[in-house]
Amino acid sequence: MKREIRIAIPSKGRLKQPSIQVLQCAGIDILEEERAYISKTSDPRFEAIFARAFDIPVYVHYGAVDLGIAGHDLILEREADVHELLDLDFGKCQLVIATPENSAIDSINDIPAAAKVATEYPNLSRKYFEGLGKQVEILRVRGTSELAPKLGLAQIIVDVSSTGETLRKNNLKVIATILDSTCRLACNKIAYRTFENEINEFIGRLRQGGLK
Amino acid sequence: MFKFQDFDGKILALRAEMTGPVARIVTTRMSSMPEPIRLFYVSNVFRYSQSYVERGREFWQAGVELIGCNTSEADGEILSLLISSLRKLGLKEARVDVGHASLLKDLLKATGLDEEKKSILQNLLAYRDKARLEKFMDQNNFPSKLREAFLQFSCCRRLEEVSSVSLSSSKYGRADDHLRNLLEVKDVLADYGIENFVFFDFSLTRKIEYYTGMVFEASVPNLGLPLGGGGRYGDFIEKFGKLKLPATGFALEIEKCLQALTAQGFQIPEKTKTRILVSTKFRNNAIKVVNILRDAGVVALLDVTKSGEKKIMNYAKLAGIDYVVFVGSSLKKPAIVYDVGSDTSRKIMIETFLQSIGGQS
Repeated sequence: MKREIRIAIPSKGRLKQPSIQVLQCAGIDILEEERAYISKTSDPRFEAIFARAFDIPVYVHYGAVDLGIAGHDLILEREADVHELLDLDFGKCQLVIATPENSAIDSINDIPAAAKVATEYPNLSRKYFEGLGKQVEILRVRGTSELAPKLGLAQIIVDVSSTGETLRKNNLKVIATILDSTCRLACNKIAYRTFENEINEFIGRLRQGGLK
Repeated sequence: MFKFQDFDGKILALRAEMTGPVARIVTTRMSSMPEPIRLFYVSNVFRYSQSYVERGREFWQAGVELIGCNTSEADGEILSLLISSLRKLGLKEARVDVGHASLLKDLLKATGLDEEKKSILQNLLAYRDKARLEKFMDQNNFPSKLREAFLQFSCCRRLEEVSSVSLSSSKYGRADDHLRNLLEVKDVLADYGIENFVFFDFSLTRKIEYYTGMVFEASVPNLGLPLGGGGRYGDFIEKFGKLKLPATGFALEIEKCLQALTAQGFQIPEKTKTRILVSTKFRNNAIKVVNILRDAGVVALLDVTKSGEKKIMNYAKLAGIDYVVFVGSSLKKPAIVYDVGSDTSRKIMIETFLQSIGGQS
């Protein structure tokens, strides 16, 4: 069954431009970038899908798209069963635990029982604290978890940080790192069987195009 | 798995798959049956799913088990049944990827790596990235023969290519036996004429602990998740009793098969059964007519509301009834049959009407 190979890339944020550049590395230009969620590319065999970064791992897992550019942190958070074919080496960030600068919580040992943790990463947070044997209450927020301590919603946040700038601006200090992450080329497991030649050719072109 | 407590404190669980229940039935109720035993099931199972697509927790599985036989012919029969099932469903470009749980397990064990590194290696095998695999094996000082075996297996895409892999008389557990088993299965598949539908995937394990032999997954290009799969389990059944029975089988996920068929543009035919409503005026005759219609295999309803003509016809339109029959004071005279679809009526004997709609009187 001949059809286009669908590749999902983040529709906004710091990962969008580098993702478009990855496609360009393989000689693929996006033709109708503005406002189109599904866009044709200069290579008729590939279709680009602009999606929320958080959803890309799930799209890849269920085969809604064949390939996706997704953060390793999000692949783990969404528990997506996908192949991580390439480490794209951008979107470097860390999933960290942070508390207000004036908080008495300076390390994970200081975290009191039943502390409230605000995060966009409830799964990874829960697993981390369970691994420590700490009972915490996890509040799932969407974006801007930095706000939670200011509003008295939570004493602790778990969020990604690339430069630490946002945390500093919001008077937060890092007390532990859960995970180091970069962007990956994620692939649906069935698609990697069906389209192995096409996908490997794409990866070959990426490498030739200067991706290490 | 969904678990909850019974009133007496015992833990109850909803079954998440059917192989366990089948193993239990075989050991407790079928111990005097001659082997091999062939069983099938179509059943509901219960699982949590975080999918956007499938919000339900109840899924339907159709599966088979061949119990009490460990030959390659038994493995081949199960694979052949799987492939013919997929083709009978009307699925295009269905394929089955085959691996061997114990072959991979024994070779992984021979590496002497810790669990974490083993899982990295398993991922690398799945990614089929020769360069990264070679790098990993060099970093971990693989002996050259073992390194060669891993490289060769990970390059194979077809079962017939596996025959060129040589374990060069090295002992990695029972890896040579498992390799022989795979090659025998390949020959059986060729006799069935289905070798073109079967691929080899060295990294395939299906994440279920109980598999000991060949494992496999079925898929089509239009669906990103396997349609089903199965494999051989050597010592699972004895966990339910004293019987040590080798077995092999598969299960297909019915919802996924439907999804795949829909994605391939298959139109699922609607069930068309004629539905007839009979007015209750002259009730004794009406009941007789309803019975005649039902005996002829037609869905017939008696209007129990005793409504007037207009109300009945209105109801029939809304409820998807095909015909309304108004029986007269005598069955020897023609009845009035109202055709809801064309909004017309005619006078007709019940027997003639039945013939006209294809029922047998």
